Amino acid sequence: MIERMDMLKTIAENRTNEVVVMTMTTTLQWPLVSDHDLDFDFLAFGMGHAADFAMGIALSQPERKTIVFKGDGGLLMSLGSMITLSKYAPENMLIFLLENRCYEMVGGQGFSQRVDFEKIASGSGFEGGGRTGKGKIEKIDNLQVLQDSLPRLLSEPGPHFVIVPVKNSEKLPPVNHSDHAERIIKLRTNLLQK
Amino acid sequence: MSQGVSAQKILNKIKELQFNHVLMIPDSESRLLYESIEKDTSIELITPCREGESIAIAAGLWTGGASPLVVIQNTGLMEAGDSLRGCGMGPRVPLRMIIGWRGYGNAMSNKLPIDSAYTYTEPLLNGWGIPYWHLMNDSDLEAMDKMDKTAEETSMPAAVITGYTFKQ
Repeated sequence: MIERMDMLKTIAENRTNEVVVMTMTTTLQWPLVSDHDLDFDFLAFGMGHAADFAMGIALSQPERKTIVFKGDGGLLMSLGSMITLSKYAPENMLIFLLENRCYEMVGGQGFSQRVDFEKIASGSGFEGGGRTGKGKIEKIDNLQVLQDSLPRLLSEPGPHFVIVPVKNSEKLPPVNHSDHAERIIKLRTNLLQK
Repeated sequence: MSQGVSAQKILNKIKELQFNHVLMIPDSESRLLYESIEKDTSIELITPCREGESIAIAAGLWTGGASPLVVIQNTGLMEAGDSLRGCGMGPRVPLRMIIGWRGYGNAMSNKLPIDSAYTYTEPLLNGWGIPYWHLMNDSDLEAMDKMDKTAEETSMPAAVITGYTFKQ
C-alpha cells in the first residue's frame, strides 16, 4: 500500500505536459503538489464519470497523454464505464485507480471488501483492449515500483489501467467549490492553445 | 409527409453540421440511424454502456476541441440526469442531443397505456431549461440547425426530440 501523498508527489515530479483529471479526495491533495494549466478538478461534475470525461479528452487530444485519478468507489458508481474504456480508451490514456476500499470523501464508509478490481478490469476486456488492442492492467503497491514504472507509463502506448492501493495519513484540505464553467473553459482554452 | 425522419437525411445533416463523434446506445426506434452512422467512416461512433457515460465522454470531447453529438432515448436521458447536470448545464458545456421520445407515437394515437417515458420527457427538459425542437419528419430537419446554433450561442445543452422510428 502506498501513502497517497507520496504517490501524488511522485507523479507530479514526473509529469510534464499531460492532462491530469482528478476527482474526489485527490482533488484536495493534488493541488498541494501541482499547479499546472492542464490540471482539471472533476469534483461534482458527475458521479463516477471522471474517466469517461478523461477519455473524451484523450480521444480529442491524441498527441497528448491524459492521466486520470479515479477512485474505486467512483468506479463502482459507473461500472459499465469499465467496459466502455476497455473498448474505446485510446493509447494516450493512463488511468490510475486509487484503491482505498471506502467512500473516503464522505466519511470512509466501506463497500464490499470482496471486490477484486483487477478481475473487474480483466473481465471487462481491458487487457489487450482499448482502441489499440494494447490495453494493459497493472497493480502497483510499492512506491519504488511506481517511481521505476512512471517513465514507461508516461511514454509507452497504452491504454493503461493501473491499480494503486493507497492509504492517507494527511489531514485533508477543505473542498474548493470553484466555478465549474470557469474550470472547464480554462482547460479547453489551454488545450486548444497548446 | 409520412411520420419519422430518414436516417440517411439525419446522417447527412450530422455531417453538414460537422459533428465528428456520435455517442449512441442502440434502441428500437433509432436502429436505422445507428446502422447508418456505423457504416460511415467519417464519423466515429462510440457506444457506451449507459447514457451518463455518453454525456461525460461528450463533455470531454468538446473540452478537447472535438464536435460530439449525443443520441439518446428519453429513458436514457432520465438515467443520465446527474451527468447532464454536472457535465452539461453546470459547467455550460454546449452539448448537442437528439433525444428519442419513446411513447410519443402511441400517445398521439391514443393507444393505452400511456408510456410514462412519454409523459415526463418535455417536463424534464423544461425543468432543466434545455431548449428543444420537435423533429418528427423530414420537413423538420431545420430543427437540427436551430439546436446546433442555440447550443453554440448560449453555451448550454440543446436538443431535438424525435417521436417516431427512423425510416430508410
